[in-house]
Amino acid sequence: MESKFKVNTEGKWYDNVDLAWRMNEYDEFAVEQAVQVKDQVGEADVTVLSIGIDKVKETMKKALAMGCDRGVHVNDDASYAKDPFEIASIIAAFARDKGFDLIFTGMQSQDRGSAQVGVLVAEMLGLPSVSTIVDFAFDNGQITAKRELEGGLRAIIKTQAPALLTCQLGLNTPRYPTLPNIMKAKKKELLTLEVATLLQDGARQETVKMYVPEKKGGGLVLEGDVGAIADQLVQILKEKTGVLA
Amino acid sequence: MAEKIYKGGEFLVAEVTCDEVFTPEEFTDEQKQIAETTEQFVENEILPHLDAIEAQNFDLVVEGMRKCGDLGLLMIDTPEEYGGLELDKATSMLVGEKIAPAGSFSVAYAAHTGLGTLPLVYYGTEPQKQQYLPKLVSGEWVAAYCLTEPDSGSDAMNARATATLSEDGQHYLLNGTKQFITNGGFAKLFIIFAKIDKEHFSAFLVEKDFAGLVVGAEEKKMGIKGSSTTQIILDNCKVPVENLLGDIGKGHKIAFNVLNVGRFKLAACVTGAAKAALLVGVKYANERKQFGQPISQFGAIQEKVADLTADLFASESLVYRLAGLLDTKLATIDKGIDNYYVEYQKGIEEYAAECAISKVFCSDVLARVVDEVVQIHGGYGFVSEYPAERFYRDERINRIFEGTNEINRLLIPGIILRKSMKGELPLQAEAMKAFESLMTPSFEELDDTLAFAAEKALLQNLKTLFLILAGTAVQKHMTALANEQEILLAAADIAIQIFAIESAVLRAEKACRSASEKKKQWLEAAVKVFAFNATEIAGTAAKKGAFYVEEGDPLLMILSGVRRFAKYDATGLLQAKRLLAHAVCEEEKYLF
Ligand SMILES: Cc1cc2nc3c(=O)[nH]c(=O)nc-3n(C[C@H](O)[C@H](O)[C@H](O)COP(=O)(O)OP(=O)(O)OC[C@H]3O[C@@H](n4cnc5c(N)ncnc54)[C@H](O)[C@@H]3O)c2cc1C
Repeated sequence: MESKFKVNTEGKWYDNVDLAWRMNEYDEFAVEQAVQVKDQVGEADVTVLSIGIDKVKETMKKALAMGCDRGVHVNDDASYAKDPFEIASIIAAFARDKGFDLIFTGMQSQDRGSAQVGVLVAEMLGLPSVSTIVDFAFDNGQITAKRELEGGLRAIIKTQAPALLTCQLGLNTPRYPTLPNIMKAKKKELLTLEVATLLQDGARQETVKMYVPEKKGGGLVLEGDVGAIADQLVQILKEKTGVLA
Repeated sequence: MAEKIYKGGEFLVAEVTCDEVFTPEEFTDEQKQIAETTEQFVENEILPHLDAIEAQNFDLVVEGMRKCGDLGLLMIDTPEEYGGLELDKATSMLVGEKIAPAGSFSVAYAAHTGLGTLPLVYYGTEPQKQQYLPKLVSGEWVAAYCLTEPDSGSDAMNARATATLSEDGQHYLLNGTKQFITNGGFAKLFIIFAKIDKEHFSAFLVEKDFAGLVVGAEEKKMGIKGSSTTQIILDNCKVPVENLLGDIGKGHKIAFNVLNVGRFKLAACVTGAAKAALLVGVKYANERKQFGQPISQFGAIQEKVADLTADLFASESLVYRLAGLLDTKLATIDKGIDNYYVEYQKGIEEYAAECAISKVFCSDVLARVVDEVVQIHGGYGFVSEYPAERFYRDERINRIFEGTNEINRLLIPGIILRKSMKGELPLQAEAMKAFESLMTPSFEELDDTLAFAAEKALLQNLKTLFLILAGTAVQKHMTALANEQEILLAAADIAIQIFAIESAVLRAEKACRSASEKKKQWLEAAVKVFAFNATEIAGTAAKKGAFYVEEGDPLLMILSGVRRFAKYDATGLLQAKRLLAHAVCEEEKYLF
């Protein structure tokens, strides 16, 4: 991995030249879940939103091909430099007057990994939020979600739409879009909004520095006959440490 | 995309610019997504079952085809009225490339979507299409194409299978044996060629359940063991007269036009197979340690990786350049016209030489790749526990079916000379010029400020050399040239390398415009390595050809031309190879 990700010249993010772009894995679970709800209830309208450079539209088209009805691309050349609070406030500003019943987000992004955006959006919109869901059921506005907790524990949460849910690995298996749906998605609405029209709040955090951690010395695995290994170990401990001194 | 529409074979006399070629960098978002869906399908639905498929558990193949149907992977070439999507050739080839790592399964897929489905799309009547296409597009039925017979392979028109009209005029009774039929074991629809009244070569749509169709035993094969290959025996097989496909006596058109498509699709498939195989080789080279270091750090291994990467770059560039040629041409045909598919066929046939070139060049590249991937694996390449051994066996058939590589190479100069004879290509006039340039020394300096100036000069020179050789051969042998196969093969080899070098150079030039500095260096290195290797091949072919056609002073003259025109200054070749090899080994992926 290290060789593929290089810290950029500013020293605050990685250099994205020549990197292949794809949808954040957790967002794929979110898209899949939204489409599943639509499949279940029939009458629904799913909007997918992404903030970033023009290139993210390519990825958004995948969400459209998976079954979302429309896309909103918030055009922002510097989205990578925004903190979770700013990103959340952009999403909240867009969603505020839309009356969405359900908002699904990824549990976290695979690059920054703050896991804050979803819950911040919920807070800003005054919605209940359930994070890291691994199971989801929807019945007439009643939500039953299963959460993954530390130590392998699970919790079952019930709440009422409107609500926001952040999606964790294990929630579902994202479909791969079929060819007819890929072609149909071409005709779906993909609106572009400039970030300045939505961004109302400033950053709360600043990334001071990004760096590759120093390599620690590698471990040593001794192999062979137990007796011989024991001798070898004693020898090493004598030579390299003070343990047996 | 390209504005000017080049004629088939015109690349040998024209100066094509990079804006006029289609390159993989120009795939649309939809094409990229379709590629991704295909990759995921192969990874999730086929590769986990590959061992069982190789053991001829054909239910898995049939089920896989059904899944392809669900995803729409069988819709690409079929019009919307019959449940298809009718996408362009670039998409069709991209999917072929991405399905190829599925090994034997991809053979079933290719036979079904290409040879099995296209005759119906191109030549079927409205009721025939209504009846069968939806079943083929959904994967409910698998199709097979039955041309070869025990005694007629390359010589396909010499088929013995017969069709006789029944006394009541309701049926044709088919008799004969078809050999090596892909998907034979489980196909439900067979496109069968037979001669009506032992004379009129024609095609028929034959259902598996028609009385008198017998499926023979599975062949025991060297490779693609998980594909079904059987004889189809016709014993008074009763085929309703409505199931005659196309016109009586016009079967050869169906057989050959579909083969043109089969060839460029095969070119795309083998390119995909080669990419997958090289990756396995590179990963192994990074893991395997000898003399205390990964073998990927040895120059011997690096040189292989670099040469193969350059070959692959050319192979891929060539495939999609051809896709662009076909798509540009086909897009000019009005879909509303009655004889749409007649015009469409002509459009594809226009590039019959390029189709043959793609088949030969790309399958030869795969052959080199799998051979070296075995070599990189050492002894582990020779045992079946590692995939290299299967790649090696699976590759071999690609140089045999869809017209053997000899037949395809012979076709290339044949088609080009015929076009010249018909006045479609100014070969004669250009050959005169080429001879003149042979007499006059050149003082032209390369303009280093132009991108890929050396390679473009090389291309001009190789084209001159081709014209000199072809011109001499025509003069010497006139119409009897068709019997001088050794000369034709040499000419074909030069033409193939020209098309490949040009495809690689033009793509690199175009891609360089928006590439990062790092990628630019890779592109330049790939071009250098490939241009050097290809020039050597073209030069050897030209020299051989010279000795075949001439003697005495004229021979010396041509040989001096070979020295002058098959010359490429590859300064920095070693650095270019190391750059490529390091990059591939570090990234563990195909670079372009
Ligand atoms: C696994 C497999 C799957 C196949 N699938 C199908 C299928 O689905 N449908 C189908 O119809 N066929 C299929 N084939 C048949 C295949 O297309 C033929 O094997 C091929 O066309 C060669 O014919 P042949 O085997 O009779 O060889 P031959 O024609 O006998 O050729 C033998 C050798 O002679 C050379 N040769 C022949 N004629 C000439 C000539 N005029 N000039 C110079 N050299 C010549 C050939 O290049 C070759 O090297 C399949 C074959 C295999 C092995």
